[in-house]
Amino acid sequence: MSMLNVLHLEHSDVSAIAAELQKKRDEMPQFFMQSPVVVDCNPLGEDVNSFDFLALKESLLSLGFIPVGVRNNPPALNKSLAEAGWAVMRESRKPFNDGQTEAAATETNDNDSTVDTANLPTNSTIETSNSVENSDQHLEAQVAPPASNNVKSLTVDKPVRSGQQIYAAESDMTVLAQTSAGSEIMADGSIHVYGALRGRVLAGAMGNESARIFCQSLQAELIAIAGRYQLLDESDTNLIGKPAMIKLLGEKLIIEPLSA
Amino acid sequence: MSKVIVVTSGKGGVGKTTSSAAFSAGLAARGHKTAVIDFDVGLRNLDLIMGVERRVIYDFVNVINGEATLKQALIKDKRVDNLYILPASQTRDKDALTKEGVESIINELKADGFDYIVCDSPAGIEKGAFMALYFADEAIVVTNPEVSSVRDSDRILGILQSRSKVAEDGGSVKEHLLITRYSPDRVEGGDMLGMDDIVEILSIPLIGVIPESGSVLQASNSGNPVIMDKESTAGQAYEDVVSRFLGEDIPLRFVDVEQKKKGFFQKIFG
Repeated sequence: MSMLNVLHLEHSDVSAIAAELQKKRDEMPQFFMQSPVVVDCNPLGEDVNSFDFLALKESLLSLGFIPVGVRNNPPALNKSLAEAGWAVMRESRKPFNDGQTEAAATETNDNDSTVDTANLPTNSTIETSNSVENSDQHLEAQVAPPASNNVKSLTVDKPVRSGQQIYAAESDMTVLAQTSAGSEIMADGSIHVYGALRGRVLAGAMGNESARIFCQSLQAELIAIAGRYQLLDESDTNLIGKPAMIKLLGEKLIIEPLSA
Repeated sequence: MSKVIVVTSGKGGVGKTTSSAAFSAGLAARGHKTAVIDFDVGLRNLDLIMGVERRVIYDFVNVINGEATLKQALIKDKRVDNLYILPASQTRDKDALTKEGVESIINELKADGFDYIVCDSPAGIEKGAFMALYFADEAIVVTNPEVSSVRDSDRILGILQSRSKVAEDGGSVKEHLLITRYSPDRVEGGDMLGMDDIVEILSIPLIGVIPESGSVLQASNSGNPVIMDKESTAGQAYEDVVSRFLGEDIPLRFVDVEQKKKGFFQKIFG
């Protein structure tokens, strides 16, 4: 399962969309709490030009989602989207195209943004897709790799306390202090924690499957990489309290000792 | 230079007001001009524990609203010189607290030559608690040896280091951990968190451990800060807290079962 949700816009009635989202969220409030959302304009067609993205962003925020970005919008909207506080998810060539026609289809539609039928939901207006197959590969194809002169990293030198959330967008994160139970650290890249790691930790939040988690003392409540998550209590690891590295192997989170 | 110290915890009933009363009385008894402010607007406990509830004429909110001067509202303690109490209002709620109002009172106290301004925070993380910690230079985080109290203290530490004025200005609030209602026997028996565990979880410096003691309740009921009870273990432990706050390096007392037993045998044989 992935933590990243894709919202496919099929009509431009923001309040109706908000109502449906609220219904979905109320079914699984724990799951959707503070979860990132990417909005796909493709199904909207021509209506996209009159769509109120600012109102949508506010609705998403008030429902407890984190609006991340918009994709498949006409380039003409880039400026107004930026003004409304949305990131425009640029198309980029998929690094390795293992027979995915879908990526190619998106590429060709890049310029005119007409209807892309490759991956349209057929029966539900709003699809919150939680499947890895759906959302992550989309993202792999569409999040531009950061340019080499623009490599970011976030360093946190104070403890991350219970109730605090820190997100390193398009970046690795290094925490020099502890993270407390009830805290949440999230990064699109890898995460390094040099104090005790006690809260939730989510690496590769935008679907980067090669992201890893490194820590000096593994006591986390929940570990996740690219949407695959595991409660540490349910893990059979014997590395609790010890230096550890967590990586993703296929669909499985692997916890390994961290030693020189 | 005057210092603003918030006594806070997140969780209710852990001993914030008891600690505020004892700590401020202790500072004043050592000659430091000290004011203690009750931020629990709407509930009002500090004046009871300080035994001045029958002397309250004007309160904190009256001063904020300009209905009384600070001098009129401050109650001078009759037992300890240098100790002043600013009581909370019982008829208002916490919305009566404004940043500007609290700031002007704290500035006026500073200008009046107060060495220490102790802010007794209400429980929770809402407006009252936020106002109490916003202007703090240092914080005494009161924690009971149980998981929910420790978790709430952790939460309040996060707020302290991200939303207080000092934090907003890029600095950090000096943190002190005060463990109260500590019972070495129950820690030994495994039904209470040990102080080492609490220090490890919160990872802030420990300023003192107050043993569970019947004298605390007795002191509260009689309106005498427990620090004035020189016989009680809790009173002595609070004295140690004040000493450590003022920079003395003294060992912890009343934290081991062994030590307590030794004291007991010494009483019999010595």
